[in-house]
Amino acid sequence: MSDESLRCRGMRDLLPPDMARFRRIEAAFREVSLAWGYREVRTPTIERLHLFTAAGTLSPHMLGRVYSFLDWDGWSGERVVLRPEATIGAARLFVEHMRGEELAKLFYVENVFRFAAGDEAREGWQCGVELLGDTQPRGDVELVLLGRQVLERLGLAPVEVRLSHPGTVRAVLTQAGLEPAEQVRTYDRILDGDPSVVGELEGRLPDLGAPLRLLLEGEGSGSAYVANLRGTFAAGLPALLSPLDELSTMVEALAVLDVRCRVATAAVGSFEYYTGPVFQFEVNGDVVGGGGRYDGLVALVGGPNLPASGFALDVDKLAPLLPSEDDGRPEQAVTIQAASQAAAVLGAAFAAADALRRLGLWTEVALAAGQAPTHRWRVIVDRKGEGVTFALYDGSTRRRRSFADVDGLVAALEAMVGAS
Amino acid sequence: MPLKLALPGGQLARPVDALLARAGLTASGYTDGSRSYRPTLRERDGVLLRVFRERDIPIQIALGNYHLGICGLAWVQEQLVRYPSEALVMLRPLPLPPVGVYVAAPRNGGPATLAGLVGHRGLRLVSEFPDLAEAFALAARLPAYRIFPVWGAAEAYPPEDADLAVVAAASEEEVLEQGLLPLHRLLSGPPWLIAHRPSLQGKDLSPLLGPLMALEGEGPAPDARLELPAAPMAAASDRLRRTPRPASDGVRLALPDGHQQPSAVAILRDAGLSFAGYDEQGWVRRPTSPIAGLEVKVIRPHDMPQQVALGNFDLAVSGRDCLLEHRYRFPASPVAEAVDLGGGQFDLSAVVSQDLPADSLAGAMAIWRAQGIGSIRVASEFPAIADNYARTNHFWRYQVIPIGGASEGFVPEDADVLIEGVQTGRTLAENNLKTIDRFLRSTTCLLAGQREVSGRKRKLLAQLIERFRGAVGRRACDG
Repeated sequence: MSDESLRCRGMRDLLPPDMARFRRIEAAFREVSLAWGYREVRTPTIERLHLFTAAGTLSPHMLGRVYSFLDWDGWSGERVVLRPEATIGAARLFVEHMRGEELAKLFYVENVFRFAAGDEAREGWQCGVELLGDTQPRGDVELVLLGRQVLERLGLAPVEVRLSHPGTVRAVLTQAGLEPAEQVRTYDRILDGDPSVVGELEGRLPDLGAPLRLLLEGEGSGSAYVANLRGTFAAGLPALLSPLDELSTMVEALAVLDVRCRVATAAVGSFEYYTGPVFQFEVNGDVVGGGGRYDGLVALVGGPNLPASGFALDVDKLAPLLPSEDDGRPEQAVTIQAASQAAAVLGAAFAAADALRRLGLWTEVALAAGQAPTHRWRVIVDRKGEGVTFALYDGSTRRRRSFADVDGLVAALEAMVGAS
Repeated sequence: MPLKLALPGGQLARPVDALLARAGLTASGYTDGSRSYRPTLRERDGVLLRVFRERDIPIQIALGNYHLGICGLAWVQEQLVRYPSEALVMLRPLPLPPVGVYVAAPRNGGPATLAGLVGHRGLRLVSEFPDLAEAFALAARLPAYRIFPVWGAAEAYPPEDADLAVVAAASEEEVLEQGLLPLHRLLSGPPWLIAHRPSLQGKDLSPLLGPLMALEGEGPAPDARLELPAAPMAAASDRLRRTPRPASDGVRLALPDGHQQPSAVAILRDAGLSFAGYDEQGWVRRPTSPIAGLEVKVIRPHDMPQQVALGNFDLAVSGRDCLLEHRYRFPASPVAEAVDLGGGQFDLSAVVSQDLPADSLAGAMAIWRAQGIGSIRVASEFPAIADNYARTNHFWRYQVIPIGGASEGFVPEDADVLIEGVQTGRTLAENNLKTIDRFLRSTTCLLAGQREVSGRKRKLLAQLIERFRGAVGRRACDG
């Protein structure tokens, strides 16, 4: 950003082509979500900060990047926050308005705010789905398929699905005898690619019987890979079996639908947040969204112990990947030009435009002097005696006809549109 | 452009002055009682020194207004933990006594260890270092905590008005001497030499950097890192406990320390109130009240409006400036002026350099616009009042620079206009400043909460307010 810009750092203007892409994504997402029985919600942009600071909802790293501040009620010492992610707000909405429901299938299109270094985007848009209720494993499978269908509807293929499970990491770190806080720090080191951490853990797990690197850093495909992990580590790490079973169920169910998954058991990302299978969607190697199971979340925002899962697609990552499309203007459209500033002429021009729009034609009144007509038909409205006349030019046939009233013009255009 | 070095005022000034002398940088006008904020270096041309309140130095360095600065580690980390600016570089610890920042609980009745905090909902943390306190609360995963920034005397708040205090102290023993129990040390270290990174990369700072970096340290370099507690794993919501609050049917009165104390003592005397431990000679933190049901505590006047709004105090003797600052920031806050006590008068004013050829705000604005100033820099210890002033006077683009003190030194180098309390104007004149708009008269006033009270408390509250009103009335008749 230049020093002269009036725009806040990290904030982005969406220009007409950007908005066209945004709306395409939103429309595809809404259509698919509604068709699958999900209901749309929208939560406030500002939430109480403490919803996000409770253990497990957001990592300290993320919390260090939120837009938090004291609003008019801040004399109470309570900070509020510009929503840094959408799931916690949706969970709060459920707790406050829908807590009696055994199953809530919700979706939203919302912006989120997080500080980022330099000129990186600090506002992002998410298309997200929340599934609140006891749905495992069916819900996890449905979410992957739903997300995948949205991406395919947008013409983004092939979509790769990558699965992981925090239980695998937790099994290793617990068996290594690490306290919960130390587990978090160690997992951060794994994510940071610290080469010494695997060796340290292996030193704590002398009876593992296989290289830990296979589990923490390895990646494979399909149920065969999951079965191999089970065979390799079952004896030395019995706590691994439950998360591997959950992954296996998902992989096999998705395989029936021809959805092939890559499995990277330890690549969870947010170790504290998720409690069950975690998935990411990749298009051309870019991660465009993801989600997973977070069974503790609803209780953490004050609700019942209700399992939950969900995902979000990142609109800002999807938009540049969309196949190009025309600007949405139909071929059969009309430009109306008023030949003078006389009130009768201007009134007749707007009346003609109104009548043609009622006919279903895309109709634009040329507002700027000298505006070049860009559509197939051009209508010039001019004074004639005490009244006005409507001259119609067809750009494709180069024919010209004149009409003394709007009705004649509308009838002629209706016939021409029908004929073409 | 000269080399610019930001130096700390206050208690750190003398040791830093001695350190500069050891480095062969002898300053004049730094610690010799001068009221100027611009000392000079003997036999060193091209160096500009400026004295700031410590808390303002890291921001001045990050902004690039100064190339180098000397500042306590606590204020450096207070800035970095919230604004991890790449523009600020910590160069070296200086051979000066270390200071720590501790999370502390009341000595009696509070948690005895950090583990004792887990699961407590709604803990109140008070601190002069609100961002360090927040970093601690986040790392410890305290649920629904509240941070109360104060201008000083954080140790005075527990146990009645806060559950934890985050305080600066030389050692754990010093924390204990403050009546608190240290639970966790967030940092400890001596003051640091800090630099503006782009200046370090592109400007020859060696005339200052050379002698300061050559100073010999004592022992191994101390660790400057913030020591945050290890996060406890997710605490299930059913384990969370609300922190109990003591209920009281008495009245709590806050009295000011600092420059408002003399006028507060006078008005108390006129109101027929006298408290052992609060008089012309000095004060203790909890003066003794002879009135049954009336409890008195001495805190900073700046912090009183919020404390009254929170219900920690029912009445407070503070300044209208402090109340306005609070109300501009929090218009819905339930605290109001109950009685104008009349003493301690000064005018909140817009102050500019004497070199600016303007005698009014309109004249100054015309000059700034003609000069093409992109953004008018407004410095103030009262940022909400300054913001309101700039907004209502139609400053176009402006920046409010919140400052901790030593305000007269900001104009003209680091601010275009200062929003400042002006009494006689003598200090302004000594610093080549002048007033162009006196926009609000501030006096000492009695603040009261706007909550419904009943019973004994209501009766006592009414009696006290009436006593203050009577004192003001008698003064008016006498005067």
